[in-house]
Amino acid sequence: MIAPEGILSRLKDLPTLSAAAVRLAGLARDERSSAADFEKVIRPDPALTANLLRVVNSAYFGLRCRAESVRQAVTLLGLRRTSEVAAAAALAPIIPRRLPGYEMEASSFWTHCVAVAVLSERLSTELGVRRPDLTFTAGLLHDVGKLAIGVFVADSSSEILSRTREGGMTFVSAERAVLGVDHSQVGATVAEAWKLPPAIADVSRWHHSPNETPDKADRLLVDLVHVADALAHSLGLGADVGEMARKVDPATEARLGIRARGLERVASESLEEIRSLAHEFAPGAGGTR
Amino acid sequence: MSAITVDISDMKLSANPDDVIVTYALGSCIAVLVCDPVRVAAGMIHYMLPLSETSPEKAKTKPAMFADTGIPLLFQGMYKLGCRKQDLVVKVAGGGALYDDKGIFSIGKRNYTILRKMFWKSSVIIAAEDVGGSKSRTARIYVGSGRCTVSSQGQEIDL
Repeated sequence: MIAPEGILSRLKDLPTLSAAAVRLAGLARDERSSAADFEKVIRPDPALTANLLRVVNSAYFGLRCRAESVRQAVTLLGLRRTSEVAAAAALAPIIPRRLPGYEMEASSFWTHCVAVAVLSERLSTELGVRRPDLTFTAGLLHDVGKLAIGVFVADSSSEILSRTREGGMTFVSAERAVLGVDHSQVGATVAEAWKLPPAIADVSRWHHSPNETPDKADRLLVDLVHVADALAHSLGLGADVGEMARKVDPATEARLGIRARGLERVASESLEEIRSLAHEFAPGAGGTR
Repeated sequence: MSAITVDISDMKLSANPDDVIVTYALGSCIAVLVCDPVRVAAGMIHYMLPLSETSPEKAKTKPAMFADTGIPLLFQGMYKLGCRKQDLVVKVAGGGALYDDKGIFSIGKRNYTILRKMFWKSSVIIAAEDVGGSKSRTARIYVGSGRCTVSSQGQEIDL
């Protein structure tokens, strides 16, 4: 079992998301925000500015004209998309070269983050449901707890793996059984510590147990990320040591009314987007010690 | 020895005996490994979904995404390298599933079913396979020797 102080001390070691990205997430939800407000936050951050311009001009967004300035980028992309790109630009550099415990390289973790972001959005389109605010960003950050809990998973790795491989437990249940906490709970704590919007913490906390989502949270958002996460793992988009030891909640399937064919269409139509977007950023430059 | 990596929805062929063709993170996707010990050539596809009717547009640009459009291209590629059908040794890996996977997420099972159907129709015999379960697999084929390996959960087996 990990003492709660142990987790909290890891949080202090964790690099934080750039303040600009966090402020943009807030601005994007405020209907009084303008492109000028965005510009004021972005321009002082050279790394964010460079990443934003590169991504805006990438094939993923398929813009007809080239954005040369932050103002143009924000105008062409829209405020919501800009804040999503900023979240991606902020997350990529803080992923460690290798995630301890989960036995995955930065590139693999990053692919998974981007895959869940893109698949969650695509799923909402396929189902014809409203697209909740922050779908992309919540999908992108759903596993952020793995950055903080990895060292503890590594210490108890054989015990966790024997529960999944011999005991038939899901990886997240095995984490909880052995460590007393799992990456989804820790992820919510990380999101709160980083002062991210509450929806991000909610998705992190319930993405493996969508049925427990309380009424005050956006259950549709949690359901979408839950399915997208399972689909990404099924397709091998970011495989970790937990492999396919995970479950899909039948209640989520029923709520979303999703069919096998729909799921396959989502997969086929998202793959290239995931690749091209993941390619725009180079993860693993820094990260936890 | 140089490694040629096959991405998801992709295929690679080689007649260079020093090459090894590899694919990573096979979950519900399936890799078909083909080698010809006579011509000394090999090929591998890593397809993601069973049927191209799911997304005909994608099938045009990425035929290796689907079993029905991709597998025939793999065999045609081998024939172009001078291989003959009767010399080909065909092996299969992947097709895994999440836990409790009976319904919408049984992509692996559907991937395997369509493969068996296609091979049965065209009289292709599977020499060896490692499919199903909730494993993630890495598959390799050594062009020179025709040796095929599958590694998963820290263990490597010869296929």
